[in-house]
Amino acid sequence: MNLLNIDYEKYKLENGLEVILHHNSSLPLVAVNLWYRVGSSNEKKGKTGIAHLFEHMMFQGSKNVPKEIHFRYIQEAGGTLNGSTSFDRTNYYEKLPSNYLDLALWLESDRMGFLLPALTQEKLTNQIGVVSNERLERYDNQPYGLAWEILVSNLYPEGHPYSWPTIGFMNDIKSYTLDDVSGFFIKYYSPSNATLVIAGNFERENIKDRISKYFNDIPASKENTDNNENRLITPDVKLEKNIFIERFENVQLERVYFAWHTEKAYGPNDNSLDVLSDILTGSKSSRLTKHMVYDTEMAQDVSAFQFSGKYDGHFMIIATAKPGISLSKLREEIFKEIENLSKNGVTKKELSKSKNMIKSSFINSMQNLDVIADHLNNYNFYLNEPNSFNFDLKRYKEVTNESIKSVVNMFITNNRYIELQIRPVDKKPNG
Amino acid sequence: MVEDLDRSKKPAPTGEIKFKLPQIERFKLKNNLKVLFVRKENLPLLRFNLISESGSKIDPLEKKGLANLFTMVLDEGAGKFNAIELSEEFDVIGSRFGINCFNDNIRLTLQALTENLDRSLELFGTILLQPHLDEKSFERERRKILTSIQQLQDSPEDIADIAFDKLVFGEGNPYAYPVFGYKDDINNISIGDIRSIYENNFDPANSTLVVVGDSTCQELEEKLNNYLSSWKSTAQIKEPEKITKEGKLSVYLIHKEGSVQSEIRIGHLSGKRNGKEFFAKHLLNLIIGGQFSSRINLNLREDKGYTYGATSRFNYLKEASQFLVSTSVGSENTGNAIKEILKELKKIENGVTDTELDFARSSVIRRYPGNFETHGQITTNLASLVLYSLPDNYFDTYIDSLNSLKIEDVNKAGLENIHPDRLSILVVGDKNSVLKQLKELNISEVIEPDIWGKV
Repeated sequence: MNLLNIDYEKYKLENGLEVILHHNSSLPLVAVNLWYRVGSSNEKKGKTGIAHLFEHMMFQGSKNVPKEIHFRYIQEAGGTLNGSTSFDRTNYYEKLPSNYLDLALWLESDRMGFLLPALTQEKLTNQIGVVSNERLERYDNQPYGLAWEILVSNLYPEGHPYSWPTIGFMNDIKSYTLDDVSGFFIKYYSPSNATLVIAGNFERENIKDRISKYFNDIPASKENTDNNENRLITPDVKLEKNIFIERFENVQLERVYFAWHTEKAYGPNDNSLDVLSDILTGSKSSRLTKHMVYDTEMAQDVSAFQFSGKYDGHFMIIATAKPGISLSKLREEIFKEIENLSKNGVTKKELSKSKNMIKSSFINSMQNLDVIADHLNNYNFYLNEPNSFNFDLKRYKEVTNESIKSVVNMFITNNRYIELQIRPVDKKPNG
Repeated sequence: MVEDLDRSKKPAPTGEIKFKLPQIERFKLKNNLKVLFVRKENLPLLRFNLISESGSKIDPLEKKGLANLFTMVLDEGAGKFNAIELSEEFDVIGSRFGINCFNDNIRLTLQALTENLDRSLELFGTILLQPHLDEKSFERERRKILTSIQQLQDSPEDIADIAFDKLVFGEGNPYAYPVFGYKDDINNISIGDIRSIYENNFDPANSTLVVVGDSTCQELEEKLNNYLSSWKSTAQIKEPEKITKEGKLSVYLIHKEGSVQSEIRIGHLSGKRNGKEFFAKHLLNLIIGGQFSSRINLNLREDKGYTYGATSRFNYLKEASQFLVSTSVGSENTGNAIKEILKELKKIENGVTDTELDFARSSVIRRYPGNFETHGQITTNLASLVLYSLPDNYFDTYIDSLNSLKIEDVNKAGLENIHPDRLSILVVGDKNSVLKQLKELNISEVIEPDIWGKV
């Protein structure tokens, strides 16, 4: 599709900073999107959460930018901004009126090159407080909020880069010192470990000069950063046996989670796994939703998804039982449907429905300049080709009944899994 | 040539940007349904939002939750399709359809690829004109919402939001109860009540259709008339209720066993969105709590480290609003966080500074073009004209309205709209670790409502 064919130019500065430019003049806006190739997968057991805590420290000011000023300047210019951390990478982004592009370049380059002179214990103590509260708010104090970390820490073996949650464990978060933070910066925040995407209505004639002006004098780190030592630990992960975990929490309804090892992002099968999740639970008429939520009303909700990371991936199915329905009943129905898929496959109609929804969400994602910028970085990171929208869509077009049956058999029917049950405290035996 | 870099200086903007507001076209269908349309051709997409003034505020006594349940049943089968088939028909053409209920209105949303416009509108029209509203779907959806209500009790944020509405708007007020209603009320509702909403309240006369996307006025008018104009009007339009309640400074606590954080809500009733002081209140709020760099967040988060975030806002409904500060903090900091918020609200009487005002004004004016980037954003903007009865030229005069404000206007808005002596202070948290802190605030006795805010 033509509108998914994104025109771009990619080049490198001498210090190794990779730059991707995409000109788009439909609105007087510009998006700046910077990916550092570091995430929680670069951490070690006992030292979890630092990649994310570090993301917070990047908003605490740098040599020429006082604390709180980064947000203030971007907002004053009418821009929006944020950052996020995942297993694989950390991103920082701004979208602002195009005449304020230099402001974003100045702020991003100052913290890329000159963060350490402005780092203080006071700022770190403050942000440890903020991040601890983020963990409480988003995980510890949420119903079922700890499910993800329980699953990944059992699904991936000890020491595997995906075996802890990106937010980190509370004791680790509270343990960080200034040396930890500056060490992390020196190791991972080199220009040679980052890609800068600029998308939108910039002036084409001088854009490269302007980027050079702000980023050229930042030296590359001497440490070899473009390398995740953790990645080498466990190339092909398998569970030795099925794992069953039962937890009692302050919740009203029982919920069950199943997780199977599958494969990594843009591997040969993760397209079929995505389509499989859509056919199982993507809409009202999808198989598990129709059967469990509509026809029999045994579940309040059911969802399935494929998580794909740089080093590995897994497939999950989650279902919440209606009052009075046992989790073993949900389990039975889920496995019955998987068995059915593995034998009989899917219908033509189901396939075309999923593919059309996927096509429409690709078009939908083109509405937002910052989404386009983040996608360019995403494709560049995982595929080394920013303009992969059409390639990506084509992967989904190529999914067939056979490929769905094959992933069901390979990754689910003939694979071990984790089952996590979360049940109300009052169902706990012996009180 | 690009000049040399002095990193100690913040770069100046390079020139001025040019921005043209999208033009809004207005027309009526043969059945008098009002249409607002913005043409946007950059993508082969169209987004529709049908806003019908029949939200939860029309729920009768002891049937709270009726309008919401109506929206849940409305798309459970229409014309020759049952619920599942209908949803499939949208999926097959890559269209998205959804219905939501709010306090003032219900909204039907449709997003379609241009190539499937006709089929999408045909399905949309079928839902408007021939919904099944059958007993079986009704019973199923009722069981679903009852279970959701049971689940809500797990979420401290939801408990806080629901109870706070009740405390601020007060018993008997149409905004005081949750959109999805109460368990006992929902059990009182029959399929006849649902059909009666369809017959008497869901109606082109009290609805507006907002459209953004790749079409022309002429094409759209023709297609909309074709698929939607037999939707006929019968409604009796109800006069809006006057909403007034004088709050009294009070502290409320809802116990949530084992909670490691406290959800805090502090605020009071306030005026309508289309009031004259809207722009002054908007800038004032940006200064005190409307964005990251506002006073309250900088104090509670960036200075004290009590929270992941703290915000304030005027929560606008059609006939009233709430001024509200919300945050969640570790249980041990509950009392301190409340003290700091009250300090910030008290400080408003001293006025804002020129620097603060410049910052707020500049951020909202310069951000304006970015509010018209996506189909969704433009739809939301057009919808706000309808939701709050704003004047037709609202967007054209937006920048001027902000520019003409003086610091005295903003300070006056502060004195007239923020009332530290009328605040309801609500905490949802573990009583064992929080009660003592609340008592030590010495504000009022600590009142303990149930999780629905009933005292």
